[in-house]
Amino acid sequence: MNAVKKFVKAREFTSFLFLVALFLIVGAINPAFLKLDNISACFNSSVVYTLIAVGMAFAIFIGEIDVSVGSTMGLSAAVAGTMIQGGANWLLAFAVAILIGVAVGLVNGWGVAVMKIPSLIFTLGTNGILRGLMYLQVGVEQVNSLPKEFKDMSSKTLVGSFTIYYCCAVLLTIGIHFLLTRTKRGRWFIAVGDNAGGAELVGIPATRTKVTAYLICGVLSAAAGIIFASRIGIVTSLSGNGYEMKAVAACVLGGISLSGGVGSVIGAGIGAVIMASISYLLVFMGFSSNYDNAITGVILITIVVADALMQRRAAVNNRHARLAARTSAAPAGKEAAEQ
Amino acid sequence: MSEPKVKLGGQSGLRRLWNGPNFRWNLFLLMLITAECVVFGMKNAKFLSLPRIFASANGDLTFWYVSIFVTFVMITGGIDIQSCSIVGLTSIIIGVAWQDFGMNIWVAAALAVAVSVACGALSGFFVAYCGVQAMVVTLGGSFLYSGLGLLVSTLSSTEAYKGISGFPGSFKALTKIKVFGLIPLQMIIFLVLLLAAYLLLHRSKYGRKVFLVGVNPSAAEYSGVNSRWITMSTYILSGLAAGITGVVMTSQLGTAKSDLGGNFTMTIITACVLGGTLSTGGKGSAIGTALAAISITLLRFGMPLCFGINKQYLDIPIGVLLVVVVVGRAVVSNPTVAAWVGKLRGKGKEAKAGA
Repeated sequence: MNAVKKFVKAREFTSFLFLVALFLIVGAINPAFLKLDNISACFNSSVVYTLIAVGMAFAIFIGEIDVSVGSTMGLSAAVAGTMIQGGANWLLAFAVAILIGVAVGLVNGWGVAVMKIPSLIFTLGTNGILRGLMYLQVGVEQVNSLPKEFKDMSSKTLVGSFTIYYCCAVLLTIGIHFLLTRTKRGRWFIAVGDNAGGAELVGIPATRTKVTAYLICGVLSAAAGIIFASRIGIVTSLSGNGYEMKAVAACVLGGISLSGGVGSVIGAGIGAVIMASISYLLVFMGFSSNYDNAITGVILITIVVADALMQRRAAVNNRHARLAARTSAAPAGKEAAEQ
Repeated sequence: MSEPKVKLGGQSGLRRLWNGPNFRWNLFLLMLITAECVVFGMKNAKFLSLPRIFASANGDLTFWYVSIFVTFVMITGGIDIQSCSIVGLTSIIIGVAWQDFGMNIWVAAALAVAVSVACGALSGFFVAYCGVQAMVVTLGGSFLYSGLGLLVSTLSSTEAYKGISGFPGSFKALTKIKVFGLIPLQMIIFLVLLLAAYLLLHRSKYGRKVFLVGVNPSAAEYSGVNSRWITMSTYILSGLAAGITGVVMTSQLGTAKSDLGGNFTMTIITACVLGGTLSTGGKGSAIGTALAAISITLLRFGMPLCFGINKQYLDIPIGVLLVVVVVGRAVVSNPTVAAWVGKLRGKGKEAKAGA
């Protein structure tokens, strides 16, 4: 019972309810939507967002941000794509892509955690460098003749109509969630994000934890890049542009606070599905895709403003409760003091 | 802000200027600009022609105008990543109001600027009065306003990707004016905006309040500053700047499009940070941001012209510049390094005194 209560009170549960409500509303307007195929398509199309959002969640947990995920993804997609197109071993290409993620993560972690440079600024710089490197890699041409088997990987299903990629992403997210909540080292990320100084005082290596968070973020973005190449089949020099903002939006929709220390990777995953579904849902509601950005913006702002107002209300209520408890506990002393 | 001001009384004017909060950094930026001019000029003499530089600057107006006022937002400890969307929204509103609703072009421009102020005010309200993180609100705003721009463009009979053109001559002539036959009006507008920002930020009570809110919002609140209103007003100012940019860019290109703002968000933040603005708030200067914007434009213009670097690769040097500058500043302000430099200086003085 206690576990159920805890589950219902969790922030990501609200996001989940929001997702269900979104599906039901669209289903009420257009009943044709409520088919397993359509719903699984929403989930399947969110796989790239899911990976980046989970990576971004690590950066946000520790109270920082990483705006270089989009270009990390693009660069890994470009490099892996070029290698596979050229007939290289797939595993080798994947390994190189992941290594790019490791390198980016280490550099970002060094800049933010060791050099103590504000994360937005430092990752903005690495973002520019990576984007430029990507132009160097792809050039004016595109990576567009990927082998058919590689592209077909993205449509193979594992459970029902859910693709292998999405199932892997879900398993990975759940695994990371358990590592984060059930292991000592996993709890460090939240602790550092909640109170870096306090975490340091109780013996948590804050710097190392931050570097690890960036490392994970880089690796997951690179993995997302490989899946992006396989799903879309084309990598241009603009691929991955703007994904960093979508990932932040997914995290926020999933109940992760940008001030750090609050939220879960499951929430990030749910937020990613919401982000990916919006354009798909609009089609079923008879809107053109022109509404995509406006509706994303409205949903994002509504959720965060409602969340902020509710939190403030809870804080005020808590203060009143504390005050009431204090005054009722010592009424006699107070009267004596007044006299 | 952070420099001790106790000793100021006994210092000469020049010394005081040197020890001013932003002077040395602005001097560094000026040196950077000079170095760029020298290097690019030596490589290719074509670089050193003012009309060419002005022409290239006209393409970068978005971050020239907007970043000056985003500095205000960053000084209060916030961030604004929605300005580019507002530029596009302003542009398309001018086009649609003029072409499809038959408004006078100047009324349409005024309406568009009013909308841009309202957009800034809306985001500012959420940040200041609802206590939502600035990054999230302006991220939502960037989606919302670019989305609104797209929706407004569907009201028009012209297809969105073509853009609305055929504006009256007087509107287009605005940005064809060249003062002294050389300096385009866009530069004059830039200087006027810069002067306004300088006076507001560094020479007025309002500016002191902006800094105080950035340094410590609670202290500002307790000393009678309406910190919420001050925070919101900075977003209104950046919205206004985006609106002005939208009008000028529409006039300059002769086309109204909803994606006119381009993707300058990161460049705007780069200009602010390179200009010495602290992303955590409380420090920054309008002049610094302007100098940084100029140096970025020179880089964007000079690299392709003098070194034949493809325009698409320009993100690399700008990214490297940003990283080098922030790492350099972090190293210099590191207490160990600062103490070491101080010791060296002390030794130097002793040696002088001994001689």
